[in-house]
Amino acid sequence: MNSYLVILVAGLGCYVLRMSMIGTDRVRLPARFDSSVALVAPAAFTALAVTTLAGILLDAGLAAGVNVHTVVATVPALLAIAAGMGVVFWTGKPFFAVLAGMPTFWLATALLSI
Amino acid sequence: VDVAKRIRDTNEGKIMKNQVRRDLIGGARAMAPWLLGVVPFGMLIGVSAAQASIPTAAGWLTGPTIYGGSAQIAAIQMLDAGAAPVAVIVTVLVISLRFVLYSAALAPYWRNTPLWWRLLGGYLLVDPSFVVGIERYGTEPDRRRAHTHYLGGAVLLWISWMLAIALGATVGAAVPASLHLELLVPLFLLGEIVPKLRDTATRRAALGSATVALVCLAVPMHLGIAIGIVAGIAAGSIAVRRKSPATDDTNGPAPADDETKVLATVPALSTEESHR
Repeated sequence: MNSYLVILVAGLGCYVLRMSMIGTDRVRLPARFDSSVALVAPAAFTALAVTTLAGILLDAGLAAGVNVHTVVATVPALLAIAAGMGVVFWTGKPFFAVLAGMPTFWLATALLSI
Repeated sequence: VDVAKRIRDTNEGKIMKNQVRRDLIGGARAMAPWLLGVVPFGMLIGVSAAQASIPTAAGWLTGPTIYGGSAQIAAIQMLDAGAAPVAVIVTVLVISLRFVLYSAALAPYWRNTPLWWRLLGGYLLVDPSFVVGIERYGTEPDRRRAHTHYLGGAVLLWISWMLAIALGATVGAAVPASLHLELLVPLFLLGEIVPKLRDTATRRAALGSATVALVCLAVPMHLGIAIGIVAGIAAGSIAVRRKSPATDDTNGPAPADDETKVLATVPALSTEESHR
């Protein structure tokens, strides 16, 4: 199945979810469902973030080969994550993770390549 | 008599037109603050689409089809990683489950409306348009005016979202690979999670999701992400139920009405659309 088709099917599914309750008030969701729905975003964001980061770190490490450079190659990404999370924790502004993390990554990469 | 009737009809028509215009603009104005967060997020999705191995047009297509920031990111990231179609679709649907709640909350207001309106209104339903709409439906006794208000905000949001993704995709395609923009999305996602970790249920959901997703990293078809999400929701839900056993369906106090309950879920969810 090519990516266009996957996206179209996923989009159709999303549309069905949007339309699911419109037009009828007979179907009601259990109350316990409400609190679970609020947890979908944090759970999804975390799963996506950690798996993507694991992939990036594994790629960086494997590209460097199995030696001391394996660890060194992952340092810029790890520093970027630490800087991004630290700044967000300090400021409470989510977008600062990108604003602090990316420059840290570029700086660390430049310093390690000297 | 005919002339007088015609003049009266013309005047009423003008008044109606002005009212519709005012309501459309009112909805657009109510949506404007959301755009401050929505536009950069849309651009980020465009950049990730341009950097991914899938065609950039396919990445952009997630905008008009899936139309929900986090689900779009999930689809792009998973397709880029080579995940199985079923895993991508299941993940997108799990992330988009909240639309069922929004749909349930708006259903009473859209009853007896024409089918075309429900099809269009439902398509435009996403976190910011839901909030802008439901607030108006709660205060405006004239349903037709509330519908127009919803439409004004929702259409502005849709146009802004599509343009932002297209702009991000254009910019992202011109950025050299040495900048490693693939780090943008995970950083952004972590930034969204960190401020919410003070809440016990959210913390457990994040921790459970991260742990299971990492353990399942080697699971074929990238199903580990979907498994991680479900595990995280389960872990967080257990924390919620332990925290408030009195709010059980049968024993708890009288539940709030649908709108209040659904609105209570929006701030936590809508961050993915707006990251205010």
